[in-house]
Amino acid sequence: MKRLRTILLLAITVVFLLAWAFPIVWSVLNSLKTDKDALAYPPKLLFEPTLDAYRDVLFGSGSILPNLLSSMIISLGTTIVTMVLAIPAAYALARLRFRGKKFTGFYVLATQMLPPVGIIIPYYIVLRNIGWIDTYQGIILIYLSFSLPFAIWLLVSYFEDIPYEMEEAAYLDGASRLRTLWRIIIPQVRGGIAVTVVFVFLNAWNEFLFAVVLSGNTVRPVTIAMFNFVSVEQTLWAKLAAVSVLAMLPVVILGIVAQKHIVKGLTVGAVKGGGRR
Amino acid sequence: MASAGNTAATDVAGVAYSDFGHVLAQRERRFATLLLAPAFLALLATTTFPLLFLIYTSAYRMDLSMPFLNGFVGLENYKVLLSDDRFWHSLVVSLVYTISTVILQVIVGLALALFVMNMKRGQGWFRVIAILPVVLSPAVVGMIWRTFMLAPEFGIIDYLAISAGLGSKNWLGDPFLAMVSVVVIHTWQWTPFAFMVLLASLASLPEDIYEAARIDRASAWQRFRRITLPLLRPAIVMVIIMRTMVALTAFAAIFTVTGGGPGTATEILNLYAYRKSFTELSIGYGSALAVALLIVTVIISAILFAIRRGK
Repeated sequence: MKRLRTILLLAITVVFLLAWAFPIVWSVLNSLKTDKDALAYPPKLLFEPTLDAYRDVLFGSGSILPNLLSSMIISLGTTIVTMVLAIPAAYALARLRFRGKKFTGFYVLATQMLPPVGIIIPYYIVLRNIGWIDTYQGIILIYLSFSLPFAIWLLVSYFEDIPYEMEEAAYLDGASRLRTLWRIIIPQVRGGIAVTVVFVFLNAWNEFLFAVVLSGNTVRPVTIAMFNFVSVEQTLWAKLAAVSVLAMLPVVILGIVAQKHIVKGLTVGAVKGGGRR
Repeated sequence: MASAGNTAATDVAGVAYSDFGHVLAQRERRFATLLLAPAFLALLATTTFPLLFLIYTSAYRMDLSMPFLNGFVGLENYKVLLSDDRFWHSLVVSLVYTISTVILQVIVGLALALFVMNMKRGQGWFRVIAILPVVLSPAVVGMIWRTFMLAPEFGIIDYLAISAGLGSKNWLGDPFLAMVSVVVIHTWQWTPFAFMVLLASLASLPEDIYEAARIDRASAWQRFRRITLPLLRPAIVMVIIMRTMVALTAFAAIFTVTGGGPGTATEILNLYAYRKSFTELSIGYGSALAVALLIVTVIISAILFAIRRGK
């Protein structure tokens, strides 16, 4: 009886682990096949692995290297601009006393309620008029609409953890507020800033709706470019798998690096009230 | 925020410097304004301004394909919307999609969390694997499912269906199966989120209550029903709120998997607003649909927050 229970539990475990890991593992396996092996029926679990698909998508004609670069520019650009704006704002919200503080905090949360499609329609009109469609500045600017509230709230939670004595000691020494923030406070929240950077980058890398509307020949992130490999007539299975794996790789690495902070990163702001995409 | 800064500035002139504390407070306010202004302006420009502009464009006829017909129409778009069958259909699809994915995520996530919590070995595997789906781009997830999992006579699920004697199915071409598929894909990607949050919450529950319950010989079901569930309630409600907001504005996964099709079978309101604006280039009406989506989002979140506050 006890034996049966153990076997049953083990079976449930394996089924669930498989259900969640399989689609990802299967993509990785397919990316290591030749197109012929990928198309084989019944599906082949055992095959001779090859890196041909990666070589083709990276260095063949229609290489996705420019698209990976495009994703990288968008994500890094968004991260830098977001952090420059969010760090001071989060500090003010977490530590300083001023009128309208509650309202400001609420406003930052409330901006996340807006459906992205409601932001992109007007933005598209404006960017079209000033010729910013298919430009990095256009896409990075609109990415602030989701990355900034997220980063501010995540950082607030880290700033709130620093003891007040640190600042007071610095003021008594005659240091200016700005200097104190830069020299004393920011080094204290290095860890929190690193976590925020990871999540802002990740969200920017994964964004899709804005990218679909605003991308063109110059700005073409890998999530958009992967559509080149599927068409009604013919899907290039191994290559598509390779592109998917390349698109997944950076975020999977970041996710595993930030493993301990994932729950916090995913639920930020929720404690105080809002919801995040 | 901006107004707080202004009043602080006007106060300065009227205040004697005798009150040192007051001056300090004033400096603090000005410093806060300085730090907040850039982020605040960026948010105004990227969220509030688009919202106002969206409401403005929703009062216009704005067809990029037929610009000569463009002009102010007042509430006409909203009138059309109320008698637009496709709008009501997309609203129903949105609600079905949201409710079914959220319920599935919470139930499966909670079951998994309880299961893993009681595991003596191998918890680490679940924790690592749970991270993978949630960090992936929904667009990539959609693409993987559309091809390697669901493509007829190629995808693994179709292979399993054939092996089980069900025959090859057109998973994304049949209206009902397509809806099931997009629900399953969303659930697959986001259940680990519910799982991780609920597991963290379970791990923080006080041990001694369970000790007491065990001494009182409460059954496992009683312990779950009377102790665990009430203690987990805040976490569950939080998961429901967050996942509802996301499901209502889901886009990438459905867009890549079915594009809203076949026909409009999986066209949630969000996708309808997108298609109207950027495929059919009817920006004015698309704006009205986006405003409708915002109103639905606000109503639903108001209900959820009321539930959270009550009890």
